[in-house]
Amino acid sequence: MVKLSRALIASVSTIALTLPVLAQTAVPQADDSYFLAAQEQLAAKEAVKPNTGKAKNVIMFIVDGLSIPTITAARIHEGQLAGVDGESHSLAFETLLPHTALVKTYTHDSQVADSAPTATAITSGIKSLNGTIGVDQTAVLEDCSTQAGSTTMSIFEQAEEAGLATGIISTARITHATPAAAYAHTVGRDWENDKSLPEDAVGKCADIAAQLVDWSFGDGFEVVFGGGRANFMLDSQKDPEDETRTGARKERDLIADWQAKYNDGQYVWNKEGFDALTADTSHVLGLFNGSHMQYEADRESDAGGEPSIAEMTTKAIEILEKNEDGFVLMVEGGRVDHAHHAGNAARALTDAIAVSEAMKAAYEAVNPEETLILLTADHSHVFSIAGYPTRNNPILGIAGTGDDGLPYTTLGYMNGPGAKTLEEGADVTAMSGEEVRAALQRADLTEVDTTDIDFLQQALIPMGSESHAGDDVAVFAQGPQAYLFDGVIEQNLIYHVMAKAVGLNAAK
Amino acid sequence: MQRRHFVVGLAAAGTLLAAKPAFADLPSLRFRDMYSRGKDLSDQAIALEGQRIAMTGYMAPPLKPEINFFVLTKTPMATCPFCDDATDWPNDIVLSYFEGDMKFTRFSNLIRVEGTFDTGIETDGPTGFVSKVRLLDTNYTIL
Repeated sequence: MVKLSRALIASVSTIALTLPVLAQTAVPQADDSYFLAAQEQLAAKEAVKPNTGKAKNVIMFIVDGLSIPTITAARIHEGQLAGVDGESHSLAFETLLPHTALVKTYTHDSQVADSAPTATAITSGIKSLNGTIGVDQTAVLEDCSTQAGSTTMSIFEQAEEAGLATGIISTARITHATPAAAYAHTVGRDWENDKSLPEDAVGKCADIAAQLVDWSFGDGFEVVFGGGRANFMLDSQKDPEDETRTGARKERDLIADWQAKYNDGQYVWNKEGFDALTADTSHVLGLFNGSHMQYEADRESDAGGEPSIAEMTTKAIEILEKNEDGFVLMVEGGRVDHAHHAGNAARALTDAIAVSEAMKAAYEAVNPEETLILLTADHSHVFSIAGYPTRNNPILGIAGTGDDGLPYTTLGYMNGPGAKTLEEGADVTAMSGEEVRAALQRADLTEVDTTDIDFLQQALIPMGSESHAGDDVAVFAQGPQAYLFDGVIEQNLIYHVMAKAVGLNAAK
Repeated sequence: MQRRHFVVGLAAAGTLLAAKPAFADLPSLRFRDMYSRGKDLSDQAIALEGQRIAMTGYMAPPLKPEINFFVLTKTPMATCPFCDDATDWPNDIVLSYFEGDMKFTRFSNLIRVEGTFDTGIETDGPTGFVSKVRLLDTNYTIL
């Protein structure tokens, strides 16, 4: 035994003597710039300490359709637009929100989600059915009779009941699935106005716009900024920005109803009205477009003028932070998803960059120590980054040449409008080989400016609208309880972390 | 590289090379150059009023089978189930009237349309479709 102890001590001593020597020997690559940069990153990681405190405020950025390849491409695009190395560049949220996790987005009934149940997962903490908002799995899609008994209570509803301030922002219609999950409970995500209700739901299930105005929790949303004005206007009312368009409702002028309900509040519909809003605003309803707000790339040409998502975010914080108990704010970048559906990567990336700027503006406007800030996506898209472009190749550029001898772009889609197909009803047997080839062969991009904002990336499978995808998305976070975002998580955990952080967890 | 090269490139790669010279002398108007802000037409668009011009875009699926116009759009008018309803058209569409019969083409095919440029808010009688700009007496080529 003695001999063994001596032997152990001897071997331990040998290790003790050996390890420091190894650590002190500089590896040959120690002066390599990548090596040094990674050492810096290591030090930054070591400096991140878990914040286990209580959050006064919660700000959730939900970027509709922000798949992980979209993050990568947006990062490179932002860097290249700034004239720096795109590949090693970082978006603001990648550096300011250090806690991350992969997020599983499947829903109760589908491998691949739409935005309704995923937003419900984030705002109410459960998995639910595609096409439904703010209801649990007992609901039946578009069956109004199942709605009343299946409603959830969102974190916004709990926050209002607890006396916090609340706000919702979206660049899509404010009645669209993601923002609707803050306040609406519906078995039909398309029931955005009363005309869209099926006959058997009329008078029994309220449309989404009406649910927003009639929302009865606390003193109501202090801030509502988004698009979707038509869903609040009667079909006899002309749109203030475009006299060729009208409202979409059969009954109720919901803007008038909102103004009557919040007689100290302000309704705005253009940039001028937005700019005039001050921090002492009690309640504000801002509806900046008849339908969705403009893509960031097109915002300057809007008739009435629209605030950017960053401007809406900072204005909302100014108004909400007057509440000493804190606030809960949702900011949705709603149109990354729409650009992807259209097969138009350039607009998806510029909208993603705009949300990143909004997140940075929010971080700078609050005390990050007492504010849980997170940024996530609701679902992915069939969008990919193909090999093998050289370093610093334009991210919207050409990556290489396929076996068909034709160039292909770095960015592309598995399906969507960018795929070629035969005309409907085409009789292939009556076509010449050349005609069939011309109808089906993808375009030659040799002389095409694929970096043009209107360029549509090619796709494999012809579909009217490019589809969502089922791969995991990411969540990035900082602030109280943000450290809980780690590893691979269920999407509905996001609600539970937010609720825990702000002290609203209504678990049994 | 300019949009002009984009179009020429696609035409060269595509099908109807013979049709290209027919458009060669016409002034062209790009969707992005049509309006200065909102529904205010650009100086370039105003200058083209009444002239035969060429535009490049996509043909939206026809509203109904018996119809004498199609809607020219900047990007394919995909029926995105999560974006827009059927009546939610973009702001920059161009109503394109044609004489006689016309064969419609799939919404995802890039086309080049020739027509007489007409502006001002008008309502199509049979359909009630309201438009701000139109192309009259059009014909098109798939690029």
